[in-house]
Amino acid sequence: MPSQLKVSPALQGLIDKGLFERLPVSFGAFFFDQVKDWELLFPAERGYYERLFALLDRSDPALVANLFAPIREAEQKMGVNEKTWPKGVFTLDQVDFLNRNASYADWRKAVAIVFARVDPMLDAEVARSGRPRFVLVTAPADIPVGPDRMWRRIEKLGKRVSVDPSGLDEMQSLAAQYAAAKAQSPYDVWIIGAENLKALPGGVALSYERLSAYRLRLMEQVNKLVNAEDIRGPRQLGERLKQLKLRAEEGAIAADPILSEFARSILLAGNGTLLINNTFVEWAAVQAIRRARPSVAVIAFGIRNKVKPFSSLLIYANQETTTPIPTQMDTLGTYVDLEVFYQYIWQEFEKYIEYRRNTVYVFVAAGMDEAFVIAPPDFAHGDSLKSQQIKGWLGL
Amino acid sequence: MFLSKRRFLQLAGLSIANRVLPAWCRPTPKRNDQARKVIIVTFGGGVRYAETFTQEGERNIPRLMEMRPNGHFFKTCTNAGVLSHFNSTASILTGNWQRVDDFGFQPPSGPTIFEQYRKQTGAGAMDAWAIATNKSFASMGASGSRDFGVPYGANVVLPKQLLLEAVQEVVKKNPKEGVASRDNVMRQLEGILSEGYEGVGWTIFKAGKQLDQHVRDTLTRGLVEYIHGPESPSSGDELTFFITREVMREFAPRVMLVNFWDMDVAHWGSYSLYLQAITKTDRLTGMLWDEVQSNPSYKDKTTVLVLPELGRDGDQNASNGFLNHRSGDASCRNMWMLAMGAGVKRGETDRPVHHVDVSATAAQLLGVKSTEIIGRAIPELLS
Repeated sequence: MPSQLKVSPALQGLIDKGLFERLPVSFGAFFFDQVKDWELLFPAERGYYERLFALLDRSDPALVANLFAPIREAEQKMGVNEKTWPKGVFTLDQVDFLNRNASYADWRKAVAIVFARVDPMLDAEVARSGRPRFVLVTAPADIPVGPDRMWRRIEKLGKRVSVDPSGLDEMQSLAAQYAAAKAQSPYDVWIIGAENLKALPGGVALSYERLSAYRLRLMEQVNKLVNAEDIRGPRQLGERLKQLKLRAEEGAIAADPILSEFARSILLAGNGTLLINNTFVEWAAVQAIRRARPSVAVIAFGIRNKVKPFSSLLIYANQETTTPIPTQMDTLGTYVDLEVFYQYIWQEFEKYIEYRRNTVYVFVAAGMDEAFVIAPPDFAHGDSLKSQQIKGWLGL
Repeated sequence: MFLSKRRFLQLAGLSIANRVLPAWCRPTPKRNDQARKVIIVTFGGGVRYAETFTQEGERNIPRLMEMRPNGHFFKTCTNAGVLSHFNSTASILTGNWQRVDDFGFQPPSGPTIFEQYRKQTGAGAMDAWAIATNKSFASMGASGSRDFGVPYGANVVLPKQLLLEAVQEVVKKNPKEGVASRDNVMRQLEGILSEGYEGVGWTIFKAGKQLDQHVRDTLTRGLVEYIHGPESPSSGDELTFFITREVMREFAPRVMLVNFWDMDVAHWGSYSLYLQAITKTDRLTGMLWDEVQSNPSYKDKTTVLVLPELGRDGDQNASNGFLNHRSGDASCRNMWMLAMGAGVKRGETDRPVHHVDVSATAAQLLGVKSTEIIGRAIPELLS
């Protein structure tokens, strides 16, 4: 394992003891790749890796060997060797090697077995320090359906309650209050939105609109790279894209290297985040949940614009300038998109022990007098909901 | 060099004539009128069972639902290979699970149905076509096999690539009007076509000056239909359809791959756009079937096999559901196949079939032997 790796002293100690060398090549390389940019990881990620490797280190070596035996077997079948898999390397070449290998399914199954055994032990540690959490998911006022059709995909998980439509701002302001009073790190409270957002002292405010200058520069650069330069494929493109960092004048988060890199990776993930505001919001939320595990999150969707003719061919062109056809809102399309995203976001939160049985989820649309609430049994809300109840839940 | 306005109108006129004249009035097709033909349609770009042949999904595919009672529906058609577009489609065409470069930098690793057919029958270059969308499919027409390869391969036409180059150029040259002007787009398309196909990754076999011009005119007619058709053109798949139809009318090839792709818009993360793309692909597939039914070179002698080359990740436990197709879960792998036309027994089958069975089936329908493949011919389609 290269010695120039900068990780925490605790993890460095485990590396020096040769922990990574004892792991199957593909597993070790994957995690080496994950921790190699240690200073760009969120505190929750650092904590996870320290706990994972400390657990492996303190466990009986025979049990650890047994745990990883299926991965080693799969690697052997796949032909993992020093040539196909140089030590500590996990690039797109390795991803490609895995994907195209006839034994890929066996490898995936073996990895899943490892985590099925390790995660409950790691989760138990996290559960001991559980605390109440709050997630607010908002939709804009222009959605053309009523509360009866807003949250159908998740309707069995919670219940509709009445809310005062004028109280939405107050509910959103809970994020700022929590950031000021109780946040455990600068990444413990997030507001992710399609529209412009105010700064959130003590927390993260990430806005699709606010990143427009960066987005346009990225689109222009990607367009240039793909069309004018000799980029052979995604591997080469990926290397070049890593260099397109957020500049100070393009967003306040540029001052924070973790958030700056987070924004770059979200926008260049290849999943429409450059083009569609709500895709950005959803993907940024999913990644923030997975990586930062916020205690309070406000996820504010907007209205997606209608796609103009030939847009699918002009992915990296500015849609406002490629055609004189005026930009129009797609309110019905937005509704259809959000219904799915509500489900995906809830599922992503619930994958992690931090949120299970600890989290009050409120789904609401601007101007609507009903909200949809998914909450643990100890959150008493009856048939109506007020900010005050959430405040009490969060201990504010 | 652009086509003259007169030539352009001539072509447009021809094209309109083809649409408005009854079939018996059209010029008699010249080739292969009696032989069995096979068209493989990849209902493509990645679509889940959930949005197609389920109670919830049926509303997205009205044409397929209408066609289904007249064809044979295979409830389980499994892709057990690599879940990328190139490898999945190459597996359909070769009869072996392909594990080559995902981005088309390598040709398929065993002979395609095009090569098997052309080599064994001595069929000419105009008898096998692959009309595909993505540039990475440029090498889909022929494998790297020493005994087969490009000399026996298919013509490969990539309409979306042509369109992409044209649209980009239009935006650059006409910043005011952009792509809102159909004439701008058409002029650019013609310009690229007249400069040579190679620049856009196509393979069209040289077949003498006269035939080259014939191919060029045929493709241009497809462009005219597309740009000046009744609906506003917006995507590559529509052009794929129009070019396919012109190729069928002019060359009546015996074996074709028609690869749709618009549904891959799902990667943009808009479920509604993904659903719209499914409906559009359904409509284009229906129009293709209509052409088979009305074109005397194809009617009653063509087997059409419609199948998605891959699915997309399921909503549960995947990192982002319909957006991707990499989890390897059942939603990614378990597809369906609808077979229509000549030799197809009406009905449906629970017995699982596989993507690699398509090539073996097509080979039998075309009267050729497929060698060294793991796929097996599907008996329900061989009557």
